Formats: sequence, structure tokens, C-alpha cells
Amino acid sequence: MIFALSEEQRLIREMVRDFAEMEIAPSAALRDEEERFDRELMFDKLAELGLTGIVFPEEYGGAGADYLSYAIAVEELSRVCASTGVTLSAHLSLGANPIYLFGTEEQKQAFLKPLARGEKMGAFGLTEPAAGSDAGSTRTTAVRDGGDWLVNGTKIFITNGGEAEIYIILARTDKEARKHHGISAFIVEKGTPGFSFGKKEKKMGIRSSPTMELVFENCRIPATNLLGEEGEGFKIAMKTLDGGRIGIAAQALGIAQGALDTAVSYARERKQFDTPIASFQGIQFQLADMATQIEASRLLVYNASYRASAGLSYSQASAMAKLMASETAMKVTTQAVQILGGYGYTREFPVERMMRDAKITEIYEGTSEIQRLVIGASLTR
Amino acid sequence: MNILVCVKQVPDMESKFKINAAGTWYDITDLAWRMNEYDEYAVEQAVRLKEQLGDADLTVISIGPAKVTETIKKALAMGCDRGVHIVDEAVAGREPYEIASAIAAFAAGKEFAVIFTGMQSQDRGSAQVGVLLGEMLSLPSVTTIVDFAYADGTAVVKRELEGGIKARIKVAVPALFTCQLGLNTVRYPTLPNIMKAKKKELLAVPMAELLSVEPRQETVKISFPEKKGSGLILEGDPAELADKLIRILKDKTGVLA
Amino acid sequence: MKALLIAEYRDGKLLDSVYELIAFAEQMGAESSLFLVGSGEALPGFNGDLYLADIARHGEFNPEVHKELILGVAKQLQPGLVVFSHSSYGWDLAPRVAFGLKAAQISEVVAVVDGVPVVPVCNGKMRREVKAKTELRVMTLQAGAFGLPEIPATAPQVIPIDTSLSGRISFDGYEEAEKGGVDLSKAEIIVSAGRGIGKPENVAIIRDLAKALGGEYGASRPVVDAEWVEHNRQVGTTGQSVSPKLYVACGISGAIQHLAGMKRSEFVVAINTDKDAPIGEIADVLVVADLKQFVPVLTEKLQK
Repeated sequence: MIFALSEEQRLIREMVRDFAEMEIAPSAALRDEEERFDRELMFDKLAELGLTGIVFPEEYGGAGADYLSYAIAVEELSRVCASTGVTLSAHLSLGANPIYLFGTEEQKQAFLKPLARGEKMGAFGLTEPAAGSDAGSTRTTAVRDGGDWLVNGTKIFITNGGEAEIYIILARTDKEARKHHGISAFIVEKGTPGFSFGKKEKKMGIRSSPTMELVFENCRIPATNLLGEEGEGFKIAMKTLDGGRIGIAAQALGIAQGALDTAVSYARERKQFDTPIASFQGIQFQLADMATQIEASRLLVYNASYRASAGLSYSQASAMAKLMASETAMKVTTQAVQILGGYGYTREFPVERMMRDAKITEIYEGTSEIQRLVIGASLTR
Repeated sequence: MNILVCVKQVPDMESKFKINAAGTWYDITDLAWRMNEYDEYAVEQAVRLKEQLGDADLTVISIGPAKVTETIKKALAMGCDRGVHIVDEAVAGREPYEIASAIAAFAAGKEFAVIFTGMQSQDRGSAQVGVLLGEMLSLPSVTTIVDFAYADGTAVVKRELEGGIKARIKVAVPALFTCQLGLNTVRYPTLPNIMKAKKKELLAVPMAELLSVEPRQETVKISFPEKKGSGLILEGDPAELADKLIRILKDKTGVLA
Repeated sequence: MKALLIAEYRDGKLLDSVYELIAFAEQMGAESSLFLVGSGEALPGFNGDLYLADIARHGEFNPEVHKELILGVAKQLQPGLVVFSHSSYGWDLAPRVAFGLKAAQISEVVAVVDGVPVVPVCNGKMRREVKAKTELRVMTLQAGAFGLPEIPATAPQVIPIDTSLSGRISFDGYEEAEKGGVDLSKAEIIVSAGRGIGKPENVAIIRDLAKALGGEYGASRPVVDAEWVEHNRQVGTTGQSVSPKLYVACGISGAIQHLAGMKRSEFVVAINTDKDAPIGEIADVLVVADLKQFVPVLTEKLQK
């Protein structure tokens, strides 16, 4: 086992970190405050840097790098702004990746290429008001009508919703089939008649990332936009989420690292009783635990990324990475606020934002409970 | 046209520095390394010149142990065509004259029409290598440039002087330029270009093949400055205080002429 | 030991930094001669020889020619030390001269310990003592490191020098500093206003001091929040991080958010009525005074 990044991975980290600190970080607090998504900053600039298609082959407009490079990019963005991190993660893992994995050559040319190049943004529509994130209970329907499909239903909590041009949505195409088998995946473009956006969620954290409702009313989708085989939607959703977990785990890792960095520099500056609080053992023990948990999370995230790139199964590994990293993010950001005390609770320092941002990583793309189910099932089946 | 840009790998200045066992340099283990900030501007300017000319060939050169290939690759990812790695495990102890001699030995006869270097390194800060290299190659060198334009064999540049004043300079190539911070806006190496840099030519040359001079100086001791004690406290009549303060500023800072 | 000290002209005027070179040479126990490309109209007060090349003929900035002139003097004088200011003129010219003299150059000397020059490393985080292996040494001195001597009223003994070389670098004049957007992160001098300025009208006091010092003005968070100063001048965690050579904190108590943004300043002067304000802990000089009285006096004296 070699625990060292390649030269390319190190250069990618340096580049993304420089970019994140110079360009993304300065407006992070204000965008959070104003609940404002800045497309040019948070997506178009990522596209210029080649981040929107990191893992896809060059022939589809990607950079041909590995999943670890992708995880590092999301980690470094999230270290200063979790909203930017999830924008990339949702676009790449959830919007673009299913087309790469399951799309036809024509679909890859038509949809994956502009997504990878960042000319278009991707999103993924799974969650529904009644069904939650249980793909098997999808109520949105798609009915054949001539050569097309007519889609009806509502999707909620859609990251990049409203902003994205290309959506992967899941709909029930066979009411008779057993619950998992009657679901299919479709590629839906923004602007398709019958496809509109509902309310924008007002959230606790990742407030600079738009979360919208998608509404389908007799939305007509050409047959060529069916992704994979009819009835394959559940499998597509599960595979997509496996990959998405690496992105969210990397996001959680970045948030945690950002909070630790802030806490360490604060502890070295802040004096109580004429001594920097960093010299107090109580503070040092807390920082030690935070750093150790982060490093453990990092190894799990990088391992899951490595498995994904090496073509090994990574469903369990990505579930473990996401579970560990998201719970670590929550713990570490909470401790960071505690170390900064009253200042930590104010918006003068970024740790309260990081604490609010961390919470969602325990919830979306499978709650911690779901991750435990995935891990448990893989152990006992 | 052949263009050369010289880069150095230096520790991230935010690193926690320690003194090495011999007490003659900082401890080079456990540091994060990156391209000298001044050199980033040099690489950017070299790439811009190459882009302007179209048919130029841009070489990036660096001296140091195996890990400096990462810095060379960054320059390649930013747009340099080929890399030269002068392999030298002992680079930390090399003084400017030795470094310039080695680069000059490599560059001699290769007809570089324009050479860019950083104005100085962030660690040593001697501001000598660029000018010495120019002297060794008998090229005119212009230091501390903050603006660069090239047309028809002539470079029109601005040098930064104290207080933000600039001097306009004209020089015919071949010539050497040392780059000041802020010369341009340095691009980020894009991810696809980082991947492509892997495939560019990277020539390794042992330092021993190029270095034929003896050092002219040596560091006998390196140390941390004494910690700031509690500062000086001045109290009293405002006019007297102002005189005292002005005197202190003249003595202790370089800002009052 | 003989020392050849390189004085400089800027925009037709002699720079005072020559006196720092003289002070340094005195400290080194050297017998000094001066070199200057200038005119007879503005010469330094100096008790000794001045090798003078005509600025009208050899140019104010013409490094290849100035190098040649210095090499000529050195050949005649045989100094053990050639000393420049570590200025845009000095750091440009010194390596050329060092190369020509086959001498070691020691850059940006800040002190001398037992005859061994000390120079900064990593932006002043560390310092190192440097020994030359050549008998002749070229040095550049950090501005302000060696103070000023008593300036004698006597005029130097002028020895005219000349060369026929014309050089390949042509100098086309100066450009004034650009005005426009504020980038405090690059400012060398910053005067910052804190809550202690009391009311918005007093921002002018701070601005005037900044102007008199040739720097920019900034502010702490409360002053910006009150909209007395625009946000792009805010120093601190939510504003800009700065690292000037001189930071003057006026009426700033030193909240940690502010300290985090300016702690990398090289020299900090705090002006505060409260002797125990936390800013005092990182200040090199704490002036205990009411800034509304003290700062205008200081500004006036600086303007003279």
C-alpha cells in the first residue's frame, strides 16, 4: 500500500486550493447570508479549470483524471465553501455520471459532452414528497404516448434545481411490476414544455446552493431520452448514489478540515490568562481528536475513490466513507464552534456556517441510517 | 524563438520552519513545497509571449531533488513545452553564483532569445540569480519588471521602483528579465493541462555535469530573530511624542526616507 | 579596509540612503569612498573622495554603463567592500558588479554580528549569517537597517570619471504611481482607523496621516460597519489580510479578528488612549495618546 498522492493529484490539490482561497472563499459568507448562487463563480469558473468533467474521458469533454482527483477537488472547494463543493458533486456525480455509465453513444455526445465541459449543468431528481429518497416508491409516472413519454409528478430537494440545464429523473413506467422493477430513468432538459420549477427551499446550511422543487405536468420527453433500459431506473439510481456518496463524503471531509484549520489558527492566536489557548491541554486534546477523526475519514474517502477508479466494487466503501466523514464533519464543526466560543457563534468567523453546512451531509444522498443499512446489508447478505 | 524560464521550488511561506541539525539552513523535511511566487509570474509571462508568437519553443528549468519535478510539471501544465530538471540533492546549500553558473552552462549555445526568472526567491531572497545568469550569458538583463510587451525583436517593459513609481525600459532581445509580483495575472493550471503535462518532455541532467565553479559564500548560521518583547510605550506631550515616533520610524523601518 | 559606497540619484535628486551606507561603513571600520552617477549640483555631505560620473552623459538608470564605471573605480581603488542600498537600483546593479569583480555578493544585510553580515531568510522569518569566500565582498543593505550618521557640512573631494560604453538597455523616463482601486494587501504603509476615531468626520485625520506617510488608509470592522469607510478598506478576518512594512493602528483596541488580518505587518505602531489595549501586545510602539490630538500633530511634522 502506498499512501502518497501522485504528482498530478498534488498539483490538482494545489490548484483547487489556490482557486478556492483566492476566488471562492472571499464571498462564501455573503453568499450564505444572501442565499445566493453565483453561477459564474461557482460553476463557470470550475468549468474553465476543467473541474466539471474531471473523471470523464477526453473524448467526452472530460479531463481523464481519476476519482481521487475528483474527491480532492470537492474536498478543497468545500474546505472554504460547502455550497460550491456540492454544486460540483451534484453536477458531476448525479447529473453527468449516470449518462456516462448508462447512456448510449448518442446520449453521451448530446448530453455528457456539454456537461463535462461545463457548458451545461447537471442535476438529479429522485426524492419525492411522499416517497422520500426511496427510489422503489417513486410516484412520478412516465407513460408512453406515441413515440414519446408523458411525465407527471413532483420532485423535491433537488440540488442545482432551477440552475441546471440537464436533469436525470426517475419515474415509474410500469405500475404492475414489482416495486423496484417498474422504474425508469430519463434525461430531461430545462425548458421542456410541462417541466417547471416549484419553490426554492430555505435551508439551514449550504444556503448558497439552490435547492428546488421540479414539477412535471404532461411533460413530453422523446424516447431517445430514456436512460438505460426501461425498468432499469432503480439500478441506475443505486449506482448513481454510490458515486454521489464519494462526492458528499469529500464535501464533508472538506468542511471538517476547514473547521479544524480555523480552530487551530484561532487557538494559536487567542490568549487567555496571557497564554495562547492552544497551549492548554484541554484544547490540544480536542484538536487532536478532531484531526485524528478527519484523517480517518480522509483515508476512507480516498480508499472509496481509489476503488471506484480501479474498477473495484465501491458501494460499501463509499457508504463507509460518507457515514464516517459526515458524522466527523458534524462533530468537528461543533467542537470548532466551541473552541472559538462566543466568536464561533457569530458570523464573524466561518465555523458556525460550517456547522450548519455539515448537518446536511448526514442527510442527503442517503442519511447516516441508510449508509448503515447499506453497510450492514453488504456484510450480512 | 526559444524562450527559457527558470523556476525554483520553495517552501510554502506559511509553513512552520525549524532549523536543521547543522544550524546552517531551515530543516527541509516536513514542509509543503510550491513554485516560488515570483517565478509563477515569470512562467505566466513566458507562456503569454509564446502564445503571442505562436511558433516559440518554451523550456522551463529547475534545480533540486526529485520532488522539484512537481514544480516543473506545474509550469508545463501552465503552458511550457518542455522541462529540464537539473538533479541536485544539495540544492538547499547552493548559493546564487553556483545556481546561475549551472543554468548558464545548460543554456549556453541554445540560443534562448528571451529568458525569464523571478526577481528573487521567497526563501533566500538574494535577487542575484537572474542578473548573474544574464552576465554569464552576456545578455542585457532588466530586473523587477511589472509590465512586458514584445514586438519585432524589442521588449518594452516597466521596472517597479520604490513608492510605486515605474521606469520605462526598452531593450532588444536576446535579453533576460526578472519578474516582480503583480507583473500579470497568473493562470491556474487547468485540470486537463495538468494531466497532459505528464506526457511532455522532461529532461533530467545531473548537477555535476553543469556545475564547474566553487561557491563564493556560505551560510555559517541560521536562526530565528528574537521574539518581539512587549513594545515600547510612549507617553507625554503630543509634539514630543510625534518627534520621538518619527525618529523611531526612521531608525527601525525603511519607509521614511 | 577600503569601502566603495554606491550612492544613487532618483529623478535628478540624491537619495538620502547614501548616509546609511556611510553609517554602515563606519560601523565596519572601513575607509570609505563614494561613487555616484550625478551632477555637481546635488552632492552628499561627505568627508572623503567621491568618484563622480556625469549623469547627463551616463544616464540615471543605465546599469551596464554604471557597472563599467564602478569596475573602473574598483580597479583603481582596490576596495575590500562595495556597498549598495538594497533598492531597485542597488539590487539590479550589485550582481553585475559582483560578477565583474569575481566577488561574493551578500544581499539585503540587516545587521553585522562580529564582522559577519546577517541577512533575512523567508521574508524575515529567520536570519542567517553569511561568510564570503572571496576577499572582496559586495553587499546590499536593507533600507533603514543602519540608521543615519551625523551628516558633515563638508563637500566631498570630487574625482571625475568617465567611460565610452553606451550600454544596451535604454531608459525612457518614469511613470507616476497609478491611482485607482485600493489593494491594501500590496500596500507598504497602512494607517488604520478603529472605533476610537469616534465619528465619521475624523476619518479625514487618518487619511491625512496615510497621505503624509505615502501609504493607504484602512479601517477595522466597526468603522466599516458604521459606513464611515468603504468595505474594500477593511482589515481583518472579514476584510483584507495585509502585510505592510508599517502598520499604524489608530484607536484600534485589537480584537482578534483585526489582529488576524494585520499580524504579518513588519512594524506596528498603535495609537491608543488605553495602555492595556490588546493591540499593545503586538505593537512595536504604543503611543498612549488621544489620536484626535496626536495624529494631526504627527501628520504636520511629517509634512515638513
